Amino acid sequence: MLLEVRDLHVEFHTRDGVAKAVNGVSYAVDAGETLAVLGESGSGKSVTAQTVMGILDVPPGRITAGEVLFEGRDLLKLKEEERRKVRGAEMAMIFQDALSSLNPVLTVGDQLGEMFTVHRGMSRKDARAKAVELMDRVRIPAAGERVKQYPHQFSGGMRQRIMIAMAMALEPKLIIADEPTTALDVTVQAQVMDLLAELQREFRMGLILITHDLGVVADVADRIAVMYAGRIVETAPVHDLYKAPAHPYTRGLLDSIPRLDQKGRELYAIKGLPPSLTRIPPGCAFHPRCPMAQEVCRTDVPPLYDVTESDAERGSACHFWRECLHG
Amino acid sequence: MGRYVVRRLLQMIPVFVGATLLIFLMVNVMGDPIAGLCGDRECDPATAAQLRREFGLDKPVWQQYLTYMGNVFTGDFGTAFNGQPVTELMGTAFPVTVRLTIVAIVAEVVIGITLGVVTGLRRGRPVDTSVLVLTLVVISVPTFVTGLLLQLLLGVKWEWIRPSVSPEAPFDELIVPGLVLASVSLAYVTRLTRTSIAENRRSDYVRTAIAKGLPRHRVITRHLLRNSLIPVVTFIGTDIGALMGGAIVTERIFNIHGVGYQLYQGILRQNTQTVVGFVTVLVLVFLVANLLVDLLYAVLDPRIRYA
Repeated sequence: MLLEVRDLHVEFHTRDGVAKAVNGVSYAVDAGETLAVLGESGSGKSVTAQTVMGILDVPPGRITAGEVLFEGRDLLKLKEEERRKVRGAEMAMIFQDALSSLNPVLTVGDQLGEMFTVHRGMSRKDARAKAVELMDRVRIPAAGERVKQYPHQFSGGMRQRIMIAMAMALEPKLIIADEPTTALDVTVQAQVMDLLAELQREFRMGLILITHDLGVVADVADRIAVMYAGRIVETAPVHDLYKAPAHPYTRGLLDSIPRLDQKGRELYAIKGLPPSLTRIPPGCAFHPRCPMAQEVCRTDVPPLYDVTESDAERGSACHFWRECLHG
Repeated sequence: MGRYVVRRLLQMIPVFVGATLLIFLMVNVMGDPIAGLCGDRECDPATAAQLRREFGLDKPVWQQYLTYMGNVFTGDFGTAFNGQPVTELMGTAFPVTVRLTIVAIVAEVVIGITLGVVTGLRRGRPVDTSVLVLTLVVISVPTFVTGLLLQLLLGVKWEWIRPSVSPEAPFDELIVPGLVLASVSLAYVTRLTRTSIAENRRSDYVRTAIAKGLPRHRVITRHLLRNSLIPVVTFIGTDIGALMGGAIVTERIFNIHGVGYQLYQGILRQNTQTVVGFVTVLVLVFLVANLLVDLLYAVLDPRIRYA
């Protein structure tokens, strides 16, 4: 297994108390595999990714338990300097908003070339040539001239291509893409996703795709992990999950997708709001919003039940997963 | 860019004319320049009239201004009443003040920005709090207190420095006066840098830089610092103009014969030519310093483009 996150717990110390952002998340990604992590804002999907990357702000963040095994070694036990060498070279991250994520005062050539001068000890000239090569690879027209330009001189789609090029620069084994298309126009979203999927296949990288967009997931992901209040509530192969969700929250998400054949009808929405991370409800965190909630949901935290039916592994953290899956 | 510079230079003309006219009128209206020449006694009317004719003071003010400006453009700033050409006074005063300004600016940049970065990165920790309190103290205490205190302690009590700067005013004698002069601005630079660093530290591009696996010092110097320096540069730029105006208080405490000293003497003796001459040059210095700051913006931040 390329990456294995085991029972990760992360909390933040805030003025309102301790916010439990991640409460025992486990997931795994293999080389060439795409795992989609799905959830609302505040579900802990980005915090988990930042912990894997080692870019969590500590403090206020604190990793209280868990392991992040990357090719068998626990990244959380590495010294900062060793950890730094893993970042960018072995695993890289693509962020949501490319405009704010790229440095406004450095040329894109400098920012791409930096990967080679710092990690590979290349000369500035060679690094510049590599930068042009990368920009060509992500199909930015006139790369030779545009390499001298600044981020604000590119369109949104082109900027996200530069982010992708920067992540790909050293051919890492794992890419974490945190909502890579959220800030883009719908037409550009597909192009950027296609490019990302193409490069992933070419280099056989593991990809963790963090998103709240179920549409993006269906096309590219192999497996899905659905997160709610810092926990994984359901994990399954993409098509199984779309066909028959085994958790009421996943079902709610799928029912909220606008559908062309139901034009004119009111959109479905999960009632209520996601819980505050400083006051996560006891029992199943989803019970106050759940249409299937029973007494047991208020008191007992559901474990991630093994709900495997055919050969593909599935899990659901619902006491009533049978009813949900078959009902 | 070139067109922008030309436009800015052209804009300087009305500002320059307005500022010099204003100072010319103020100095002329405020009192009779001849009266100051004869000390405490009243001047002999015949001599006074003679002097007035000689200096052209019997003519209307607007005519005096035109004559004066005409002379300025040929490089003639007139003569002080002691017979010394004003340009000669400038020749001795400005190099001294330039040296003093250099010491002050270097202190602001090196000490101020370093402290700002250190505190900005450790916000809320003991280092940060103590530096903040220290800057508050420096800002609150007037320069003449800091200056006199340092002169007394370092110069008189412990004899580490010369309490009074020699007429040549070499760099080493200007270090303490330069620090005194810089102290308040230095405290502001520290605070400005601190806020700016602390703010940008949480920015997305710094997170990207860390995610790229860059070493910490590279993240700070190359990605964080350059973005954080833009407001600091503005402040330091305008401060150059202010410091070149001479530090009347500091120069008097340490007996430095710079611009501040000459201006003070000029005003005291109602020496019109000296005061107007120096202020004219200072107006120019200030305008040029501001233009340079604006041009430096474009260097620091490529998103700013002048057309």
